Amino acid sequence: MSQDLTRRTVLAVLAGGAVFLVKKANGQIVWQVNAARCINSRLGEVGVEACNLCTTECVVALSAVRAVNEYSKCGRCNICPAYFNITSAVNELGQPSEKLCPRDAIARKPIGKVDPEDPANNFYEYIIDEEKCDGCGKCVMKCKEPLGLGSITLRVRYDKCVNCNRCSISRACPQNALVQLPVGQAS
Amino acid sequence: MQYRQVQTIDGKGALRGIAVDSRGQLYAAGDSEIKLFDAAGRLKQRWPTSRPALAVAVARDGAVYAGEMGQIEIFDGAGKLLRTWRDETLLGRVTAIGFSKDSVLAGDAADRAIRRFDGSGEFLNNIGKDNPVNGLLIPNGVVDFAVARNGAIYAANPGKHRVEWYTPGGELLGHIGRFDGIDPAGFTGCCNPTNVAVRDGIYTTEKAGPRVKAYDFSGNLLAVIATHPFNPNCKNMSIAVDSHNRVYVVDTEKLAIFVFEPVTTV
Repeated sequence: MSQDLTRRTVLAVLAGGAVFLVKKANGQIVWQVNAARCINSRLGEVGVEACNLCTTECVVALSAVRAVNEYSKCGRCNICPAYFNITSAVNELGQPSEKLCPRDAIARKPIGKVDPEDPANNFYEYIIDEEKCDGCGKCVMKCKEPLGLGSITLRVRYDKCVNCNRCSISRACPQNALVQLPVGQAS
Repeated sequence: MQYRQVQTIDGKGALRGIAVDSRGQLYAAGDSEIKLFDAAGRLKQRWPTSRPALAVAVARDGAVYAGEMGQIEIFDGAGKLLRTWRDETLLGRVTAIGFSKDSVLAGDAADRAIRRFDGSGEFLNNIGKDNPVNGLLIPNGVVDFAVARNGAIYAANPGKHRVEWYTPGGELLGHIGRFDGIDPAGFTGCCNPTNVAVRDGIYTTEKAGPRVKAYDFSGNLLAVIATHPFNPNCKNMSIAVDSHNRVYVVDTEKLAIFVFEPVTTV
């Protein structure tokens, strides 16, 4: 009886593995960044440097991981800590004089009814240029609560990802934040 | 001016809003209850609210107003429910309550405005809504304000890095504050200050990192009251000031109220 159970268990594992490989071969299993594990977006991690392993470890040039701004969560702030280096000197407009993104991949534009007299009296849209972004995570770290609202997260861009069997970022990530999911469960 | 921490009060649960009455008693809103602490910080009484309590204020007659989602509940000083003002539109999410002469003011975070009602709950006017962004800029999700002795309403407008003051009729009279990520006289981050109190000056709290400050009415920084011992993940730290200028500040993560008082130099 126990031998039979063991055989069945082994067969089930093998069958599961086979199904997984077939799905992966068909592009139905994809790598994804788990935002709740990633140190750049995980709540409670404050006062630490942004992790840039997604930039340095990916086999794809410029990395398949990019920062994505979810507009429904964005505060559309005048002073966005993911856009500006908020510890740089204040300029004549009352804004930080430096941008945060080392690749200048975030654009800022006023939206809605614009008050030209007072920049603080407007809403702003922050658009990430994914062709420039290399997923360094700096903006993600500054956007998360409590400093921001956590609208920016790192995502694997499936048109860029070559879907390695063992993602090199996942091997390097100390948080095990790179996970494989069926396409239907991936965001 | 310097301050020192003189007391830590165990909040006995979540702390969304606090208020101090003329006798130095401290009221705290959080979870679905109002908690009353005596002047020594001992829990004296607690009573339930019908919805999660987001704000609390004590009227001159001793009535205790609790701000909630879609309503304000009014209790007597012993916690007996006297009345409920319910309005899902005008009282979408009440995160602050105050009193100006005969009117009752409610900060509605759902619509980014302060509502003014008469004593019977009749709506009179909005405050902070007549501007190009159609309200106060509160990415942090809380409208907070305090009423000065002269009746002016001091509202935190964190998205503008300002404290603005208004007449009860809604006219903007002035503002203090500016963005600055280096100079402590400014407000840093995307959106600070989040909370405000008024007595002999203007008192503010900020998030990321937590900071409590005092300004004069011209906007000059008088003191950085404290940056410690707050949890760095704190935000929307409610603040109140008593008649002795003791400053009560909520730590939303440690679920405690820290009390600071000015250090008098001889």
